[in-house]
Amino acid sequence: MRSARNLVSLAVVLALALGAAGVARAQGGPAFTPATLEAFERLPLQDVGRVKPVASYARFTLLRSAGSASPRDADGRRQGSAEWLLRLVLFPETAKDDPVILVEDSQALVAAGIDVTGREKRARWSQAELAAALPRLLERAHAADAVDPKQRTSVEAVTLRVAESALAVTRLGRAFDFARGRIPLVDGTRVARLFPGASAVSVADVLERAEELAALERELAAGDDGREQGAVAALWRFVADLSGDAHVLAWIPPLGAAEVEPAWKTPADLVVAGRRGERLHPEHAALLRAAEELVARRTDPGRLEGALSALVAGVEQLAAARGEGGSTRLEARYHALGLLGWSNGLYLLGFALCALGWLRPRARLATRGAWGLAAAATVLLAAAIVLRCVIRERPPVSTLYETVLFVTVCGAATALVVERVQRQRIHLGLACLVGAAGLMLANGYERLDGQDTMPSLVAVLDTNFWLATHVTTIVLGYSAGLLAAFMGSVYVLIALLRGERADEARQRSLARAVYGVTCFALCFSVVGTILGGIWANESWGRFWGWDPKENGALLICIAQVTLVHARRAGFLRELGTCAFAALGGTVVAFSWWGVNLLGVGLHSYGFTSGIQRSLWTYYLLQWAVVALAGVVWLRRRRAAAGRTLPARTRAAPVPR
Amino acid sequence: MSALRRVALSAIGVLSSFGLACALFVLLGLLTWLGTLEQAHTGLYDVQRKYFESYALVHDAGGVPIPLPGANLVLSLLALNLVLGGIVRLRRSRETVGILVAHLGILLLLGAGLVKHRASDDGRVTLYEGQSASWFESDYRWELAVRERHPDGTTREHVTPFDGVLLARDEAPVTVEVPGAPFSLEVREAHSNSRPFAAVDDGGPSLRPLARDPETPRNLPGARVALVWGGAPLETLVWGAQSAPFGAVVDGRRFEIDLRRERHALPFTLTLEDFRKVDHPRSNMPRSFESDVVVDGDRRLTISMNEPLRQGGVVVYQASWGPQGAGPGARLFSTFAVVRNPADQLPLVACLVIAAGLVGHFGRRLARHMRLEGCRR
Repeated sequence: MRSARNLVSLAVVLALALGAAGVARAQGGPAFTPATLEAFERLPLQDVGRVKPVASYARFTLLRSAGSASPRDADGRRQGSAEWLLRLVLFPETAKDDPVILVEDSQALVAAGIDVTGREKRARWSQAELAAALPRLLERAHAADAVDPKQRTSVEAVTLRVAESALAVTRLGRAFDFARGRIPLVDGTRVARLFPGASAVSVADVLERAEELAALERELAAGDDGREQGAVAALWRFVADLSGDAHVLAWIPPLGAAEVEPAWKTPADLVVAGRRGERLHPEHAALLRAAEELVARRTDPGRLEGALSALVAGVEQLAAARGEGGSTRLEARYHALGLLGWSNGLYLLGFALCALGWLRPRARLATRGAWGLAAAATVLLAAAIVLRCVIRERPPVSTLYETVLFVTVCGAATALVVERVQRQRIHLGLACLVGAAGLMLANGYERLDGQDTMPSLVAVLDTNFWLATHVTTIVLGYSAGLLAAFMGSVYVLIALLRGERADEARQRSLARAVYGVTCFALCFSVVGTILGGIWANESWGRFWGWDPKENGALLICIAQVTLVHARRAGFLRELGTCAFAALGGTVVAFSWWGVNLLGVGLHSYGFTSGIQRSLWTYYLLQWAVVALAGVVWLRRRRAAAGRTLPARTRAAPVPR
Repeated sequence: MSALRRVALSAIGVLSSFGLACALFVLLGLLTWLGTLEQAHTGLYDVQRKYFESYALVHDAGGVPIPLPGANLVLSLLALNLVLGGIVRLRRSRETVGILVAHLGILLLLGAGLVKHRASDDGRVTLYEGQSASWFESDYRWELAVRERHPDGTTREHVTPFDGVLLARDEAPVTVEVPGAPFSLEVREAHSNSRPFAAVDDGGPSLRPLARDPETPRNLPGARVALVWGGAPLETLVWGAQSAPFGAVVDGRRFEIDLRRERHALPFTLTLEDFRKVDHPRSNMPRSFESDVVVDGDRRLTISMNEPLRQGGVVVYQASWGPQGAGPGARLFSTFAVVRNPADQLPLVACLVIAAGLVGHFGRRLARHMRLEGCRR
């Protein structure tokens, strides 16, 4: 009996869990079905120069605001970025309680007069909590904005970020107010007669009558009927109020050709056109009606799904007619698949198995498993990069974020190739480590930057030829240089930890691999750097300008060419080669990230901030490895001196 | 073996050694690193002059002066080391073909750099829509121009590099002889960055010297000059940003004195017809800058980012535009960077040569390594 009850309980729990998995519950409203969320994720809109799906827009809006793409709602439940945005626009009255505004230092709020008692210094706040103090926060942000960014205090910087986030989220919450509100008509007025039988109208209704309203206004302007004039003015005031924040989402494709009319429209743009007396095109009217339907059906999951699908289909159709939005579905799918997350997980699992293989050398299954996982992770990562290329119609690297992905995949793949040749299981572990570390770096940078990772490119970068040649080549050089640094570090650590018990053949083989990978890096670094000069010559009129980014690339070449020459001359042997390669890693890191912190030079599109601590950690780690190599060298010298004495003793002829 | 021969051989041995190569690489790396960090505080031009276009320098490390060789010296020695060690004394065999080729490529690249350094001119020309020019101006160098306007409308100019008169002071004026002119030009005061101001005491304008701006193009030089002839000397100020040159009539002949950016002739006349700056929709991010130009009045073409004009040994690039914040319909100007570099395309050739050498050499080594690893297993 008890077991039967348990079974029933289990069934109920399972059913609830499955239900929760299948239907995302909207706080304060009914659930969104997976199909609803999927349709919303692929809704195309135009933002910062390109047409993208809501999945991308919501993700990066949340990353900027909350520092997470899947923050918790007011009930502590995790929600996806598109789900958050849909709730925000459809249920702003409850979504305002979601803590999605990250405050990194509560002092910024204290300065704006907000009580932070009981809250952690770094915490997420909700719109509702900040609403009352928003005007003061904006005032302080305005003052902070006037300060030179280099002179800003951390509190001023946080104030600025919090105010921007709070304002952005608040505006998004009102972005569909135009479809929500009804405008009352004054009975018996000529305006009301334009809408027969209606006591209240929507924004779309008004815009559909824009021409007639303009004619009426012109006619009334000639007379002095204050009541009639007031009725028209009140109508437009209502429209303006309802559409005031509709300008944040440009989801209405124009009807003209993309070359002639490149900018998509927001509902607020349609209102402005309507106010000028321009006729609302039937296609745009249909979209506004679809938005009204969406808002009206928000509490009915089944009908909401239909309304949203109709809206998305309408937008996609208009975009396709202009030859735009062709890859928004694929981009939404790219985010939904989460290939990078899967790849990271597999790398970590692969590393765990590889470590097991090191502890139990005879456990071949673990090593084979690690091989499979590392290979699968690399394939997934490569697939993600290929998808990005297809979506953007660009070579694999055109942004700083993409350099991280490309460095990671090339580093992991190179380590796997070396492992395939040398079969020592060291490079297998390194492949997993490089893969996981690279993807964590990518993830961290994406959160820190909070900007679209597939952005439109500035004019100078808008060339697939140079992106495919110079950028790809130089990033391959970075990748191999960093891999050599990791391999060199492993050599030093093994030599330090195992001392004379280290497998000499294996160590020699590892040092050979370090040298080989450095030579590989040198080829790409040198050719990539010269190609960069040739590109600069094509764009700016000079081959070499001693710009920080150029100098960084030169430093990599110098470090690698020094290693190759010093080894050839016999100045560096196994340990020296590995220690130098480890040091070379800091040169690569300086060139890749460090010069971006200087904030000077022509490569302004690559400036970065907020990464000093991570960068210095890496520098210190690599310098520590070099110092440890010094310890190993001293230890070896002493050991060699100890061995020399008996050898000399034996040097005397031994009588037979 | 004579002592001289022994010394020569030993010098060649040192100059062609791996040791010297490594030391020079380390020095070049150090200079590059220091010069990069210095750019956060000092303008690129000054850093370039100090670290990368000098033979020696003193680096200030937090108040501690450290003497260092400049990049010119290091690169010159490196080129010598490369020729002697990497080409002349390199053991010739199938094994070293790739190394030889790569070294030749590097030498070609250094040669291209030398040609650029010694024989190139660069600068800018700014044109409003509808304007033409057959010259371009240096970004950094200035010149004193004395121009005579003849009654028939023709002009004759004599120019003197401003760097040559920068040391002029009242107590040690620098005299510039102007061939064919009835006067000599005496520079009594000169500053690389200055502003004119009206002195309260005697009412005459003076020059106020200013500290050098780290961004060199922002420095505006000025000079107090006098036309010295049979009569009373005519003294005036010339300044880099003055709107019109100083005019004077001497012996019935009309002259103009101008302090301006150094001018170089273009081998053609460039006319700007139209400039367009297109932003990505719904953003302030520039998508393209394009200038429709006419060359010598008949050849129409468009200059844009990554698409320069190459003609008559000069290359004209899209560099800048203005006025910033101009409203729709405003008359725009386009600024072109102009470079005359005889070695313009050499880096491309060098790149191909180096790539072939490196890939050939390391590819061969890799193949051999793979074979050996295969045998080991």
